[in-house]
Formats: sequence, structure tokens, C-alpha cells
Amino acid sequence: MIVREASRFQAEFFIRKDGYEINGKSIIGVMTLAAEQGSTLDLVFDGPDEADAADALADLFEQGFGEPI
Amino acid sequence: MPFATPPVPPTPSPDGEDVEEGIGVAPGVAIGPVYLYTGGAYQADPDHLEPNEIAGELDRFERAVARSERELGKVVTVARQKLGPDTAAIFDAQLLILRDQQFYDAVIRSIREGGIGAGWAVQKILEGHQRRMEASPSLRLRERAGDFLDVQNRVLRNLQQGRAISRIDEHHIVVAQNLTAADILMFSRRGVLGCVMDLGGPTSHVSIMARALGVPTVVSLHELTGLAHSGDTIILDGFSGRVVVGPTTETLARYQTKADRFARIQADRADVVAAASETRDGHPISLQANIEFREELPLLDEYGAKGVGLFRSEMQFLAQGTALDEDQQLEVYRDVVQAASPHSVTIRLLDLGGDKVLPFGRREPNPSLGWRGVRILLDKPDLLRPQLRAVLRAATNHSVRVLVPMISDIGEIHGIREAIQTTRGELASEGIACADDVALGIMVEVPAVALMAESYAKDVDFFSIGTNDLTQFTLAVDRGNDLVAGLYRELHPAVLGLIQHVATVAADAGITVSVCGEAAGDPRIVPLLIGLGVTTLSASPAYLPMVKRVVRALTMDEARDLADRVLHQPDADAVRRLLDEFLASHNQDLAALLGLDGASEPAPA
Repeated sequence: MIVREASRFQAEFFIRKDGYEINGKSIIGVMTLAAEQGSTLDLVFDGPDEADAADALADLFEQGFGEPI
Repeated sequence: MPFATPPVPPTPSPDGEDVEEGIGVAPGVAIGPVYLYTGGAYQADPDHLEPNEIAGELDRFERAVARSERELGKVVTVARQKLGPDTAAIFDAQLLILRDQQFYDAVIRSIREGGIGAGWAVQKILEGHQRRMEASPSLRLRERAGDFLDVQNRVLRNLQQGRAISRIDEHHIVVAQNLTAADILMFSRRGVLGCVMDLGGPTSHVSIMARALGVPTVVSLHELTGLAHSGDTIILDGFSGRVVVGPTTETLARYQTKADRFARIQADRADVVAAASETRDGHPISLQANIEFREELPLLDEYGAKGVGLFRSEMQFLAQGTALDEDQQLEVYRDVVQAASPHSVTIRLLDLGGDKVLPFGRREPNPSLGWRGVRILLDKPDLLRPQLRAVLRAATNHSVRVLVPMISDIGEIHGIREAIQTTRGELASEGIACADDVALGIMVEVPAVALMAESYAKDVDFFSIGTNDLTQFTLAVDRGNDLVAGLYRELHPAVLGLIQHVATVAADAGITVSVCGEAAGDPRIVPLLIGLGVTTLSASPAYLPMVKRVVRALTMDEARDLADRVLHQPDADAVRRLLDEFLASHNQDLAALLGLDGASEPAPA
């Protein structure tokens, strides 16, 4: 779900956790990250539509997105 | 030609032969080495690449990913319509894994920098991810580990296929557990001698394709892949359905004679193709082709078909899992109509349901008696309307006939006729060119329709007898069910009586009657059908030259006399014996090829 949503935007999207960073448009990256549950994540956006992308993804995270992808 | 003999003399087996009985689905005799084409366990080997192999390996990987992506895309579409969004999401996730940059880059790097084979790289990388998922505290993620394995299997299969296929050539007989219609098409292009499968039945899509392409094929051999090894000499008899692995010198010689006879018959095919299709005493019998793919259209001229007697429109539908839109259908029909011109084309409206899996709808306890054929069409105008529009447009200035499948009630004819009129009105008001009128006919495959043929003859322009379903419904036997398949006998006198009744009614009403099932392509059954009053036969193109030989060898009186005697027989076995005798006395070469001359071996039951 994260991956699909993030892929709609041009902006690059990274998720940072404990000093390393994964590509938020990579399902493998997101699943690997999610495999180790319960920690603080930083979402980083970079690109022409970064504000919209950030809003959309923040909404998704807040809704709990029911699904880890 | 797929019927050529191999260049290397086959070696006889010193330690006995294995004779296996299957079902011959495409005619021909082939002798050659086995190529065992395996699916199933996909395990890669660690191979190291030479620098000059790297570019090829990268290309092989890319093609395997592209092929996997196409497959998964199709699965997602079907799953979404048939199983709902939740199931589709699983395959959607696999599609994302497949095209994940991280995975893709890692494989490319392993190949390019590590000189590692694509299969091994894919396996190592996806296994790593799978293990991480399995170790997760989250149940949901642990459940997703299987997705990595599925993707891995899919890519490995496609990688291996690319490699295996390049090793197959025209000397081989392909032995596989199961093949798809696409596989047969590919093998045929590589010119293989023949195909042998553990699974499959005579009416399955793959068998139809093998027949259409003239690749001698035997199916339903159960455990043959366990008996045969790559390189073994194997004999394939597409007439009797017999396969011999490791034949003795004697067997080899016997089948070599048979193969030569078949080659001879093939060789003077051009004469037969050019000859008129009429009985010895000058009664014309119209021979047409059953077609489902555009790839088959060149076969019309090659095998001397006078038009398309059955265009199965549903195959296009099943291939992509959803209906083609009006313009796509129009394009297909126009190609068919043009290839057949000046002869007519009979387009059967979508014949879905029954044993053909539907992307919509639900599971039915008894699908062959369920929602299928015209019953679906009348319930789903979104399927019927675009098809009728495309057919009417393709029929402009051409002879096109519309055939309605699975009619069981006269009201259904009226429903379709009304829909045609409405559609024609629509097209006219939109200013789109279309045919003023098309001939409308019905499949006679339900006994109720056969018995009441008089009523139907007033309302339709032609009858087309579907022998497969008519047999299944008359005898109450599901031939796909191994437990009762032995009771399925299309030569049962009860079935033949219905055919005769329909043919007689048609003759009285002055409408045409054709048979478009497999029976129409069987040289043994053809004399009987003619004797029963059938005037048009439609079969897979590859069978037509053989059918014409039989037609030209008999007189109408002989055929009628045969039909009279047959209808007085108590069961299908007695009928079969009469037909075999008849063919043996009219065309020895063909009879010998079919194993009916008594000299070679008994015909299979």
C-alpha cells in the first residue's frame, strides 16, 4: 500500500530508521523494515511534488494502513 | 514438415520396450529421440559465466522477468474479477517484488560483477528475503514469505524454459507432463516431430492447437515422463494413441512402414487438396475448417478448406481473461472473413461456461448443465452487444453466419434474433456500415433440441450438430470424469439416431446441417455421417485431406446402406466394427494407417 501510493508521485521517498535508509518505493525495502517492528521512522521526500507526497503518505501512516505494503 | 523421418537411424532397445496407451489427438506417426521437457521443481545450479556469456545472461534474465511480469499481470486481472480484490492483492504484491529495483539491481550486479548465473542469483537473493520475512515477529509478514518463493519459482521456470527450448530441434519428440497451447505453437515453430503428454484430453485447448498445427500428438499417458529419458528412442502414433519407448527392432520396422505410409499420404496431399469434395457418384460434401486463432488462417488454403465452418470466438476471450472490445473483435473477424473469402465463415457467439473457466460468475455444482452458452449471452448484454456489432460489421459484403451455442429453448432463438435486429438498427442510426442480414443457426447439442428439430427448423437458417455435448447429454456421461469416461461413446446408436433425425428434418426444411465436432475429422466416422444425411463437415484443417479421401472413395448409396445397418446395432462396439470394415474396404492405405487392416494391430477401443 505504501509502495503503490508512493509510486504515484515523482518525488523520491525514503524511510529512515536507526541510521539506515530504505527506498520507500521498494516493496522489498518496506517489507524488510516492517519485519523488525516497533520503532520510530523518519519519512524523507525529495522532488517536485514532495509536499503532496508527504501529505498522502502521512495520511496513510495515520490510518494505520491495515496492510504492511 | 513435422512428419519427416529423423536423419539419425533410431537405435532399437535390447532390453524390451514399453508400450503405453494414451489418446491420439493429432494425426501422424513420428519416430525419434525423446526430449524430456520438465516443469515442477525449479532449482538453479551455481554456474560461473565466462566474460563473453554475461551479456547473453543479462538478456536471458530480462526476458524471464518480462515473461513473468506478463503472466502475473494476467493472473492479477483474472483474480480481481473472479476471486475479489483481496486475492488479487497477493499477486499484485508479487508483481511489485518482481519489478523491485532493489531485487533487480542485485541480480544484475551478481551477473555482471560476480559472473553468477541468473538462476542462481535470483534464488540466492530471494531466499535471503524469504528468510528475513520468516523470522519476523509479525504474523502478517511471516505469511508473506511465500510470495518470495512464488516469485522465485516463476522467474526460475521462465529462465529454464528459455534455456530448454533453445536445445529442442526438429529431430525431437517432446515428452512433458503438461503443455500449454502456447508451448505447442512454439515447438511447432521449431519443427519438432511430435509431442507426448502425461495429462490432457482430446478436447483440451492444447490438443486443438496440436491438431491445428499438424504436430502429431498423444495425450493422457499418465506416467510417461517417469518412464522416458531424454535421448531414448520413442515412437508416437497419433492415430491409435499408442506410444512405444525403447522399441525393439521389429516394432521399429513396423512403425517405419506406417510412418512411410503416412509420408506417402502427405506427399500426394496437394492432389487431394485440389480435388473436388464429392462422393464417387458426384454428391458434393462441403468441407470446412474449425478455427480459433488467426495463426491458423493460412491453413485454410494449405488443406483445401472451403470456408470456416466454426470460428470459436471464445478462445480470444479465454486467452486474455476478458472480452475483446468491439473494435478488437472486428479486427479478428475481418481477418477471418478475408482469409476465407469467397467462402462463408460461421462465427459461433461466445460459448462460455461449462468446462471453460469464467472470469466472472461463481462455482456451480454442475457446470455443464449450468450457466453457459446462450444462457450467459442473454443475461449479459455487455458481452453480447459488442460481439454482435463486430460480427455485423465484419459481415458487410461477406457471407457470415452466426451460430448460437447451447440452445435448449426456442425462446432463446427469438432473444438472439431480436438482439441482432436492435444492433443492426443501432449501427444504421450511427451511420456505420454493416450487413443487412446474417444467416442465424443453432448448435444442436441438447437432446431436447434434436428431438424437436422440426420446430427449430422453422426459426433458423442452419443446424450445426455438436457431437461432444450431444453425446454427453444423451448418455448422461461426463467424459472428463475418469470414473465414467469409458461410457462416453459418440457412436452410441442413440446418439446416431438423433443425428439422423436432425439431418432428415433439415433436408425436408431445405436448411443446411453440419457436424463440427471431432467426429467430422475422423475418417472412420465420416462415411456414417454422410449416410445419415450430413452435408457439411467442419474439422481441424489438418484432418480435411484425409476426410476428403474418404468422401471421394464412397458412393451415397453405400454410405446410406452403412447408416441403415449401423442404426440397427445394439451398442457402440458393434457400430465401431461396421465402420472399421467399411473403411478397410474403401481406402486400404488409410485403414492401415489407422491400424484397421488387421495386419498391424487392433484398433484401440
